[in-house]
Amino acid sequence: MISGRLIIRLLAFIALVAVIAGLFWTQNAAFLSEGNIRALMRHMSVQGLAALGLTFVIVVRQFDLSFPGVASLGAMTLGWLIASGMPLSVAVCGGLAAGIAFGPVNGVAGARLALPDIVTPLATRGLAIGFSYFYSNGTSISQNFFMSGILDLNDRKILGLDMPFAILMAAAIVGFVVLHASRFGRGFYATGENRTSARFSGIPTRTLIVAAFAICGMMACLSITLLVASSGAANVTAGNQLLMPAFAAVYLGAALFGRPSVGATLAGTLMMSTMLNGFTLLAIPYYYSDAIVSTVLIAAIALFDPRVSGLFRTLVAKKDKTA
Amino acid sequence: MAGQTGTILAMRGIQKRFGDVNALDDVDFCLGEGEVHALLGVNGAGKSTLIKILSGVYSKDGGTIEIAGKAYDLGSPRAAIEAGVAVVQQHPELVGDLTGAENIFLGHESAKPGLFSRIDRSGIAARAQAMLSRFPIDIDLGRRVADMPAVDREIVAILHALRLENARILILDEPTSTLTEREKASLFSMMKTLKAAGIAIIYITHRLEEVFEIADAFTVFRGGRNVATHTVKEAREKKISIPNLMLDSDKGLTFPPRSQKTDGDIVLEAKNLSAEGLFRNVSFAARKGEILGIFGLVGSGVDELSKALFGVVAPNSGEIHLKGRAVRFRSAAQALQAGIFLVPGDRRSEGLTMDEDVVFNTTLANLGRASLGGILRFGDNRKQAAALAAKVDLQPPKLDRALRGFSGGNQQKVVIAKGLYRQAEVYIFVEPTVGVDIGARSKIYSLMREISRDAAVIVISSDCDEVHGVADRTVALYKGAPIGAPDRATTRDQLLSAGIMGEMTA
Repeated sequence: MISGRLIIRLLAFIALVAVIAGLFWTQNAAFLSEGNIRALMRHMSVQGLAALGLTFVIVVRQFDLSFPGVASLGAMTLGWLIASGMPLSVAVCGGLAAGIAFGPVNGVAGARLALPDIVTPLATRGLAIGFSYFYSNGTSISQNFFMSGILDLNDRKILGLDMPFAILMAAAIVGFVVLHASRFGRGFYATGENRTSARFSGIPTRTLIVAAFAICGMMACLSITLLVASSGAANVTAGNQLLMPAFAAVYLGAALFGRPSVGATLAGTLMMSTMLNGFTLLAIPYYYSDAIVSTVLIAAIALFDPRVSGLFRTLVAKKDKTA
Repeated sequence: MAGQTGTILAMRGIQKRFGDVNALDDVDFCLGEGEVHALLGVNGAGKSTLIKILSGVYSKDGGTIEIAGKAYDLGSPRAAIEAGVAVVQQHPELVGDLTGAENIFLGHESAKPGLFSRIDRSGIAARAQAMLSRFPIDIDLGRRVADMPAVDREIVAILHALRLENARILILDEPTSTLTEREKASLFSMMKTLKAAGIAIIYITHRLEEVFEIADAFTVFRGGRNVATHTVKEAREKKISIPNLMLDSDKGLTFPPRSQKTDGDIVLEAKNLSAEGLFRNVSFAARKGEILGIFGLVGSGVDELSKALFGVVAPNSGEIHLKGRAVRFRSAAQALQAGIFLVPGDRRSEGLTMDEDVVFNTTLANLGRASLGGILRFGDNRKQAAALAAKVDLQPPKLDRALRGFSGGNQQKVVIAKGLYRQAEVYIFVEPTVGVDIGARSKIYSLMREISRDAAVIVISSDCDEVHGVADRTVALYKGAPIGAPDRATTRDQLLSAGIMGEMTA
């Protein structure tokens, strides 16, 4: 169902992106060149996949700080399997399996043992990073990369789209169906918004929380696979750059669209990537990017906070009426 | 108005509009010194709006307010407090980890407040005890509020509201909604002491019998207007029917006729069911075609019993039989699967997803039916939800509205619609009409009767009249143990004394 309010939010979002893009374009005409837009979409693909996975965890109102560590482990597993001469499909699946295996540790700790969801993921993150050093004592792995075909994941095109973006779109469609058109999606939202009432409605809340963490871990590893494919090497710090943009994308999307969802996360990611790309073009040093992302994240959380977002919503509601 | 003494509060011609809705339309309301004045009306009649204007939460659009002869504007909660208006909310926000005494003086810990003044714990305890000693009640103010029974918390909240010595008007918003019959007595004795000290009390309640117990006068609101103000004496002498004043029609609270059927199949049977420290030796059989009523005060174990039947609380001994077979549920999901649906006592925290809409909530307990191969059947879900909304008479019938936007009675109707969508064989209703106005109550009772035609219905409540009025066979639970066995012949007074004193007199 597409409500009038959603259309207004969508128009507001498009206007916002257009304004931001317009500003960058006036500063540097290259911003809207085909090459740059492709670069932007590639960047968005990596960040978007991690953010999509995180969306599930945020929907069940948990908090996952571990996925960057899990992603590093996934990257090293993938690199090691490729270096050992495994076929690409096995290597990629092995990387994803590392994510699927590690995510549930958080879920079990949070849902079954009722441990605090801030501390446990921090520990899991450390654990995953620790394991990721096993393969090569921390040096980056790139043997066999040219032969294996992993670089194709970055370079090839499908239906005119760059492979990474096509993968993001495919993942978004699957994610959309699961979260918004399936019974499991209902379960995820019900679990997050009122766990007791969900349990009393027969929803397997603990299983869904574990599943959310597993999805988050797997998507982080899929995201890192693309990053490994574009850089041509796997290293133990690969996952670190995922944390802030993923959180910022999910919260920014939720603030813009009223609640976390697949569409909201994609919108949030598009906005983050546009800004980061634009600042890079303006030759603002890359080390400021974390500061920019963090500023946006704080603004987004403030808007997502019920008190502030209540205010935000009444503003939108007023606009609804006048419109 | 009512009091022989002076008028402490006079509100005249009060107007308040929200968008197109006239929440209050030319309302007059007067309060005598030392008067207990009950404020009555169905949900949405305007009583909360009046209270919010008086306590400075809303600003009025028109009219005047005089307190003790002086005109006030009451533009903010602070202004209201300074004018002597003290409010105790329906669910007082106390700090669970602090003691009762610390809660009373929260924000006023020090007699001479400064940035670095130390919190004087023994001083606070002494001041709190001094406040309490003015009342003929004794509670332990040194206990953590989280460990206190509901009535003690209510008393702490009242003392907190009265911590400033200037309070002249005390507003109590449904203070008895979470109290047992016995606990009510302490609250009422506290109110009497306040009254004797000249403090006027505005008392909001849904329980009409309390008006005659504690109030001097009452005002009935309907559709944003003051439709009647009477002294309780007048009402007694002239036999004025308050339910008739509250409702547009002449109909008060009605219970549907009892079932004549006594030989329906036994669907759910409890045999000597016990859960340590909660309830013991509970036996009953719930039959298709009738309503079984269990009356028990808060804390008597009735809520836990309902959860044991629903697989949430694990019983230590005894058996549950469903259609003749012994069952043991490990989770609510298993109980639902077996055909049991619980309409929980706390619908906001246990029954509904408040930020989601009617369709979401209606279908949540039966996602298997709501989907095909895991994919939601949006069109069908909406159609079914619309049909069920019509069946339970949801007002307004807006399927896209979040549950938060409905009144208590209509939220409860959505929980019932959710149960109907589940198509269960046993429906357990716990406190089905707490916070529900009279109009919706009658509807909920008739729905329960209708459901009982095809399923076994069990109603569990701390409202004796409700259990006796709606159920065919009744039994009381007292301190965890059943008094007697479910019987059609139990009278209302027998049931009441069984549930309150543990013996069936009369």
